[in-house]
Amino acid sequence: MLKFPSDVVDSPILAETVLKTGVLINILRAKVDYDEGTIVISILGDEEQQRKIVDTLIEKGIEVSRLEKNITNDISRCVDCGACISLCPTGAISFNKDWSINVDGEKCIRCGVCVEACPLRSLSIQEE
Amino acid sequence: MKTIEEINRRIKNGEVVIVRADEMPELFEENPRRAAEEVDIVTTGTFGAMCSSGAFLNFGHSDPPIKMTKLWLNEVEAYTGLAAVDAYIGATQISEDKGFEYGGGHVIEDLVAGREICLRAESYGTDCYPRTRVETTLTIDDLNQAILFNPRNSTQRYNAAINSTDTVLHTYMGTLLSNRRNINFAGTGEISPLVNDPEYRTIGFGTRIFLGGAKGFVVGEGTQHDPKNGFGSICVKGNLKEMSDRFLSGATIPGYGTSLFVGIGIPIPILNEDIARNTAVRNNEIKVSILDYGVPRREKPIVKEVSYEELFSGRVEIDGKKVKTSPLSSVKISIEIMERLKELILDKEFFLTKPIQSLPRDTELKTMKLREEVPFVEDVMTKNVIVAHPRDSIITVSELLVEHGIDQIPIVDKKDKLVGIVTSWDITKALARHEKKLENIMTKKVITSKKDEYLDVVARRLDKYQVNSTPIVDEENNVVGIITLADINKALRRR
Ligand code: SF4
Ligand code: SF4
Repeated sequence: MLKFPSDVVDSPILAETVLKTGVLINILRAKVDYDEGTIVISILGDEEQQRKIVDTLIEKGIEVSRLEKNITNDISRCVDCGACISLCPTGAISFNKDWSINVDGEKCIRCGVCVEACPLRSLSIQEE
Repeated sequence: MKTIEEINRRIKNGEVVIVRADEMPELFEENPRRAAEEVDIVTTGTFGAMCSSGAFLNFGHSDPPIKMTKLWLNEVEAYTGLAAVDAYIGATQISEDKGFEYGGGHVIEDLVAGREICLRAESYGTDCYPRTRVETTLTIDDLNQAILFNPRNSTQRYNAAINSTDTVLHTYMGTLLSNRRNINFAGTGEISPLVNDPEYRTIGFGTRIFLGGAKGFVVGEGTQHDPKNGFGSICVKGNLKEMSDRFLSGATIPGYGTSLFVGIGIPIPILNEDIARNTAVRNNEIKVSILDYGVPRREKPIVKEVSYEELFSGRVEIDGKKVKTSPLSSVKISIEIMERLKELILDKEFFLTKPIQSLPRDTELKTMKLREEVPFVEDVMTKNVIVAHPRDSIITVSELLVEHGIDQIPIVDKKDKLVGIVTSWDITKALARHEKKLENIMTKKVITSKKDEYLDVVARRLDKYQVNSTPIVDEENNVVGIITLADINKALRRR
């Protein structure tokens, strides 16, 4: 997750970074307000390439943090109804053999559809 | 042939044979006679959002006493049109402070879980009940009675839902993605209680059931009980104080409201081979219609007929595309309910009952009688629509607006197809910014409607998208009319 301070909100930092490093990124979510912005990206490439992107961004004054967890399910709330399954664009949620729910953080692109739709409010996406 | 008394005797003697509804088909197919003779009880289960649920609560009297005329529990209003301190909290009543995020279903869950509830009540005061306000906190243990009483639960059969429109819909069937990208279905299929006794041979008035983690009873047929079309349902009650929040959960159906997930298990006594055959039903034999919820009418068009087997497989083919499915009921917890019920019986804590009366098999389902017909768009829309073309100048369009005293103009191309819309506000902005081209200021994604839609439906659409008008187009996207908020208000006020 990238935090843009107010003085760089309007410069094309991501594009510059991609051009400079030659490493591709995927923008998963972006929220830009008048004084700051947060953008969630996934970096395509190996560890060294990821490092390159992160270093370049930090140089430009961006706060970079690694989001360890994408989607998480609070199993004390979840009733395994499955309402979330068909909504997920990447198939990150599925049934196990015993009809319990399996959420795969690796496949999650943080779109938030399932979080919004879960009737038990048991799904969440790590924001910080 | 067996009797309920014999089965209860076998329970007492520790000889009873119980199988789950999902285990019965195989046993029955192997040897129907033997299955009917050897199996005494088949347990069934369901756990899903059941909106027609709620609880009667009695709070005891305060000193000085109050005759509650308005009551809120955690800011969710409960019905008090009963005796002084009796109330009914309904699952779908939403809270006044948290909206859809908290409602009557959540209050019931909090009570069952033993959590504290804030009570606030008002009254006009009487000679015998002088108090006019009361505020306190309490738990379920402080109540005299807490009775779960659900007028309609465990419906026999459900339709599935899909959405053919190009916007996401939030319905009581969950979130439906646009352009038929998902299918939601309810019910647990072959393990669902009424599916295993579709002729109500063993389930009737007074049947003891597993309800919300405790013992409960079938009170009678449910509201909207529609046995002729296979949509039977039951009305159930039980002691909330004995129940568990594992089997009762408050729920938010996004964009729709709140509800209560209710767990119900019903033991079916296998009295003869016919009853055994009914419990041997398999998912592939239970048909479900997938309806298009994009049509906000009572009768929705059927997109496809499928079976529960197909729905549970995770994908259903619609027009050559595999569409993902979601159940809305929990199979996992339903299986747990069947197991729990089995244990309770094996532990001799749960005995079967013979219904004191059968559920009706011939009631007709009525629809709401309306005093007046609801108008259609066609009856109200303006047919001679003033239109403009993308190449027209801003000045020309502003003149048209003034001349005809209108606030918006649909923009059509050479073939009269709708390509955009311009409002007087857009024109004002254009003038302020010295924008000359109509094309650059028109809204291209226009909210359109059809002339055969109900006015109420279009009114809801205008409200949803916060627009003041909608062009009416035909199948070819030709503008055939326009309707404004003012037109709708006038027509609806006349009603
Ligand atoms: S929608 Fe919520 S409660 Fe249902 S299975 Fe998914 S995470 Fe669990
Ligand atoms: S947030 Fe989106 S991508 Fe992630 S699990 Fe939920 S629906 Fe799938």
